[in-house]
Amino acid sequence: MPEKTDIYKLANGMTIIGVPVAGVQSAAFEFLIPTGAAMTPDGCCGAPAIIEDWIFRGAGTKTSRGLSDMLDGLGLHRGSGVESKHINLSAALQADNLPKAIELYADIILKPALKPEQFEYSRQLALQGLLGLEDDPRHKTMLLLREHFYPDPLGRNTAGKQQDLQNLTAEKTGQIFAENFDIGQTIFAVAGKYDFQKLCSLTEKLFAGEKPKKAKDINAKEQPLGYHHHPHEGSQVHIGIMTGAVTPHDNDYYNARVAVAILSGGMSSRLFTEVREKRGLCYAVGAGYHSLKEMAGIGSYAGTTPDKAQETYDVIIAEFKRLADDISESELQRAKIGLQSALVMQSESTMARAGAAATDYYMLGKVRSLEEIKQNIEKTSVKSIVDFLKNNPFEKFCSVTIGPMEIKPV
Amino acid sequence: MEFKHKKLANGLNIVAEVNKDAQSAAVGFFAKTGPRDETDEINGVSHFLEHMLFKGTDKLSAHDVNRTFDDLGAFYNAETGDETTIYYAATLPKQLEEVAKLWCQLMRPALRNDDFIIEKNVILEEIAMYQDLPDYDVHEICKALHFSDHPCGKIALGTVESIKALTSSQMREYFESRYAPNNITVVITGNFEFEKICACIESLCGSWKPKQAGRKTEYFAGTAKREHQKRKNLNCLHIGLMNPTVSYQDERAYAATLLAKIIGDSTGSRFFWELVDTAIAETASMHCEAMDGVGVFYSSIRADRKNGSKVMQIVEKIFKSLQKEKISADELQKAKNKVLSAITIKNEIPMGRLLELGVNWVYLGQYRPIEDEIQRVKNVTLADIQNLIEQFPLANFTQFSIGPE
Repeated sequence: MPEKTDIYKLANGMTIIGVPVAGVQSAAFEFLIPTGAAMTPDGCCGAPAIIEDWIFRGAGTKTSRGLSDMLDGLGLHRGSGVESKHINLSAALQADNLPKAIELYADIILKPALKPEQFEYSRQLALQGLLGLEDDPRHKTMLLLREHFYPDPLGRNTAGKQQDLQNLTAEKTGQIFAENFDIGQTIFAVAGKYDFQKLCSLTEKLFAGEKPKKAKDINAKEQPLGYHHHPHEGSQVHIGIMTGAVTPHDNDYYNARVAVAILSGGMSSRLFTEVREKRGLCYAVGAGYHSLKEMAGIGSYAGTTPDKAQETYDVIIAEFKRLADDISESELQRAKIGLQSALVMQSESTMARAGAAATDYYMLGKVRSLEEIKQNIEKTSVKSIVDFLKNNPFEKFCSVTIGPMEIKPV
Repeated sequence: MEFKHKKLANGLNIVAEVNKDAQSAAVGFFAKTGPRDETDEINGVSHFLEHMLFKGTDKLSAHDVNRTFDDLGAFYNAETGDETTIYYAATLPKQLEEVAKLWCQLMRPALRNDDFIIEKNVILEEIAMYQDLPDYDVHEICKALHFSDHPCGKIALGTVESIKALTSSQMREYFESRYAPNNITVVITGNFEFEKICACIESLCGSWKPKQAGRKTEYFAGTAKREHQKRKNLNCLHIGLMNPTVSYQDERAYAATLLAKIIGDSTGSRFFWELVDTAIAETASMHCEAMDGVGVFYSSIRADRKNGSKVMQIVEKIFKSLQKEKISADELQKAKNKVLSAITIKNEIPMGRLLELGVNWVYLGQYRPIEDEIQRVKNVTLADIQNLIEQFPLANFTQFSIGPE
């Protein structure tokens, strides 16, 4: 069945995207609202993590409890998160309840109560979230890796900083909300079972009255990539390694994605084979592509006991450096099939479709069809990937370790 | 959706649900075996064996296996639960037959000694990894404390000592006794031709010899012991609580699932309002683990250590108050809405449907259509919930926690 993604813009700039998914009874949606970790002023790191919780503590005429009861009454599966540039609010539910859910989210986004007495709870939860991260070295490794890899403030830790969270007040955080929660730049994507005309009418009714705000510029400061160790008396050394890659705008984007799949797609890929299968160095090892609008990277993670940490690190770096060597036609085909097949399987999930559509629109100003992505993957060849890797060799690495011992970086 | 079932002469069950509208298909082998079927001496063998199945057969090397799965564009993996080991793959419909053939071959692994030695390192690394994930560690130790000598008290991955001491011949012996065709169910969902896949499975698995592979399923209410450990590398308090409840085979398992949502869902539950909304705990959740002949509610709480005693006072108050402050019709309805929409969302994807179908067959030996599942959730009454609370008073729990020194 041919896909038909619909896009509609309100006069204030808000974008509505509809992605139909055949044969489902559910609908899922995602709002991308420009209040990310990189958008907050210095000294206020963590404000979006507080806002993400605070906006659900009462909205419109509803109390915190009343709002929560109504959301639960719709059987909503909700999610939310802080990214570099956005707060995302997502949900999946039975399609019949979609209009009621959107009305509730309009209140949450446009008319949150933001009561000072509720602020303290949200702040305490953000502080506890930061403390919880200290007990999750694997997750912390990847957050630190992005913080050290991307120019500041683009890679800021989305959980915030302890001192900043302690200093933030309800007034200051309310001000950050007012300045950043910009409906004009908000992207709203729906996937699954819905009627696009009705969706647009409802969104227009709820959001069109809101004025857009002036877009903010971010002055990102380059920082030297290096090695950063954080002592932790755990069982393993958690190793994070990141190196540069092209963004989705770049002509070489698909070459980069297929190259990463050769490095760490399925279990026959190079990292898994060399680190785990041949040497038994790790249980968890892998690499993935990560992109912001301005800059992208390939991030790798491995967790291993201290006596194997150096060898693990050395083998991963060696695999990055030799990625352009000896790529076979069958290796390329496996990488392509893996990417294309994952694409089709993800397309069956309404939640995954809504999230992907919103991110695509933010990154590229359009939503790519599955067919377009498949064809672009298909167009890559051993030559195009080798040329890309030769022109963009992996020379500089940002490395982070958390654990009982340091490694010697390249 | 069309249900299909075939039982081979050697006892291997093939159950399937065909959905011609699906974009993908999934196949899974559900072996009714896990840590609860192990002795202390071989603790961890089920999970280690699950890894070893990927190491190939007499005709296929480990790399052949990985390469073939990747050639087929399959999303594949395996999971060792306390009492079921599941091998699964989702793929595009046109590749399903080849993926199913590969799994059929892998179910008769070579278990080569060289592979065993290398993989032992990987298992020891996996154990080390989970030691750095305190919430997982607390769950495993809490389960061992709750079940004590009952078979369900086994640590899923085994211990460093049991894994180091394990031999490949012990693994072979365990394999021979547990991976009989009459103890395995093949499950297929999504878009595929049942007769064709069935014929292919029969040609590859039809010669397997059946063998007695039983299991003791004694009920056990738990020890209600309470222990705390200090660890110098921790910053938060991680608490695990286990209460006895009904088994998977008990019709009241639906009421138990709903009660766990009412008490400990991530939003709008009693835990949420008393512990998380008030920022006394960062997270607090409860879910029902209904198993073969036994069942538990498991609660997981993470909090700043300075709130530790307050957290436990509130939890005890919530548990004790359930008999006086009865569950309201509104609370039950909200829990039903959440469970019903989860059923809809999960079952839209062949991989999600595979797990539901397989677990129902392994535990109940029966097929339950989605509409039937929905009706059973809808049928739960307030009286059912209240009876459950009275029969299994929640104030009676096992507790294990870890926190900073």
